[in-house]
Amino acid sequence: MLGSKGLLLSGFMALGLLGATNVRAEDVVKIGQIEALTGPTATYGWMSAQGAKLAVEEINAKGGFKVGDKTYKLQLTQADTRGEPREATVQFRKLMEENVRFVFGPFLTNIFNAIEPIAKQNNGKFLLFAGATSAHSALGKPDHDYLFRTWNWDAGPSGFGKLMVDYLKKQDTKKVAMLFQNDAFGKTAVDIYTALFKDAGIELKVELFEPGTKDFSAVLAKLATGKPDFLFPGYSDAVLYDIVRQATESGFANRFFLVRGSIGPALKNKDAIEDYIAYVPKYFEQAEKTEPKVKAFIENYKKTYNREFPYDQAPLCSSSCYDHVHMLVQAMQSAGTVDDVAKIRTALLSMSYDGLWKIKYDKTGEEVFGFDVVHVRKGGSVEVVKYDPTND
Amino acid sequence: MSQLIIGQLLNGVIVGSLYGIIALGVTLTFGLTGIVNFALGAFMMLGAYATWYLYDVLGWPYVPAVFGAVIAVGIIGYLCDRALFQFTRGNLVNGLLVSIGMISVFEALVLAAFTTTPRDLTYVLPGALHVGGLILPKIKVAVCGVFLAVIFGTYFALTRTWLGRAAFSYAQNPEAAALMGIRTGRLQTIVVVYSTALAGLGGGLYASMYSIDPTIGSGYVLKAVEAAILAGIGSVIGALGGGIILGVSENIGSVFLPSAFRDAYGLVFLIAILLVRPSGLFGDRS
Repeated sequence: MLGSKGLLLSGFMALGLLGATNVRAEDVVKIGQIEALTGPTATYGWMSAQGAKLAVEEINAKGGFKVGDKTYKLQLTQADTRGEPREATVQFRKLMEENVRFVFGPFLTNIFNAIEPIAKQNNGKFLLFAGATSAHSALGKPDHDYLFRTWNWDAGPSGFGKLMVDYLKKQDTKKVAMLFQNDAFGKTAVDIYTALFKDAGIELKVELFEPGTKDFSAVLAKLATGKPDFLFPGYSDAVLYDIVRQATESGFANRFFLVRGSIGPALKNKDAIEDYIAYVPKYFEQAEKTEPKVKAFIENYKKTYNREFPYDQAPLCSSSCYDHVHMLVQAMQSAGTVDDVAKIRTALLSMSYDGLWKIKYDKTGEEVFGFDVVHVRKGGSVEVVKYDPTND
Repeated sequence: MSQLIIGQLLNGVIVGSLYGIIALGVTLTFGLTGIVNFALGAFMMLGAYATWYLYDVLGWPYVPAVFGAVIAVGIIGYLCDRALFQFTRGNLVNGLLVSIGMISVFEALVLAAFTTTPRDLTYVLPGALHVGGLILPKIKVAVCGVFLAVIFGTYFALTRTWLGRAAFSYAQNPEAAALMGIRTGRLQTIVVVYSTALAGLGGGLYASMYSIDPTIGSGYVLKAVEAAILAGIGSVIGALGGGIILGVSENIGSVFLPSAFRDAYGLVFLIAILLVRPSGLFGDRS
């Protein structure tokens, strides 16, 4: 049995350990990420998760970052929603219970819609960097000070959608057939682009397809009867490869226009397409040769993950990802705090960040960044038009 | 319009034959082991990835790559049977739980190894056949031919060989089959391995037509189960028929109705058939 001295000693030791834990806890800034890392919609989350992890490792490898006279390291928790709203709410609640003040993601609209009420309850306690399209309508609303949207908006003066439609108009386009997935984002995209095409005087025919569809022959054949000038398919490479192949092979379409997804399907079918016009946050193949930061990022990616660089998917790093972690750290340094989310929000809204992308937020918290319009023509020739709304 | 309908009828047959090959595995496994192996979709996915790896990464010719994939998936099927499925024989719920668990494991393994980036095989047979105003992609026609040959080959093997007759007799009366000297355990293992190899073949050929990602199997196994029920569990030719009916109803339905509900058209057909014939189109009325 312990005597009174023993008990006292044990008490001091316990207090000492507790004190040590507190010091350690203060030296770490917890950040969370909530994305679909597995499941059929994992493409977006997977790339975002890779980019965020890379940024955290880079910062920690340099010994962390200084705010005031203290040095902090980042501790990243990545939660897998599997693209399922119910799973997302469980994971998100967990992050909130663990007092994670900075959460990256989600990219998926259905996931944002699911976690939004919980996020609202925690307004003022944390910041959320969501790429989801549906986050746009929540920006600037009461009790949504927590929210930043890390993707430029399709419509509006700085949006890429209007610029893309204008580009299409210059190709003498009269009719477009839109083929999107029947889900929350698909329907939002239909709403956005129906208005944009109407304003541009372009006739639009819309068809939606079931998630998981791989054979598009029937719906492509149906759309082809309307003789559209361009097929506007969406929105991830998991379907684009199939749509482009089936459309060209069966003679249903050979001109494509898209605002999500890569140019991989165009290059694969380069002799069968006529035009393939794509919004690409960054054309990495070209940027690697001209931008040192992009080159370093690609080299670091290969070294860290020991795999080929996914050029197709890399543009998705523009959302809630690599640059945003670095930008957050800069904002914490500028605000002089790692805890006061209101001050950090103010710092984020007033700064611009020059990383892989040039990024700034508008007054509502929506991101504005430069992007590329890539036009692939028959034979595989690529023309890149750069837009930089951050200068506007 | 008639060209559109005929074109989609033929496309429905082609797509349906893929459902049929997986449905054949479902119906054989259920008939002999008493479990519905939902993991067959995951085995199909493994076959697709194995084919992609052998063909596109290692540079094998396509046909040997598919054979390699079928053998690899068959071996994985054998190992799964020895390690797991043999303990779930005749227990529908346990078999179901094991097979669902295996889907998660296989998907996670492939995801970790190859990521979610879709893989699109270098085209094996590009171009299309132009027949009477109809355009049919050559690869789809070739794949459909292979599936039909395998399904009819399986039917003849089951009806004309000793092993096939043994399988039929076991499915009808396990005790009597065992008393007649049929080594039932080995027979069940053979069927499990054959079904997984069939799924591997389905995956290998699927990869020549569509892009692949770790989740492709789950959608197809549901269609296959649907096709097997539509046909009547236990019917070999029925599995093909069920698959084709499903494929055609989805394709024709998508032409006249919104394609957003494509899967529902097959299900409506399934419900209508089951209302009239509860044991399926080709099932035993008794």
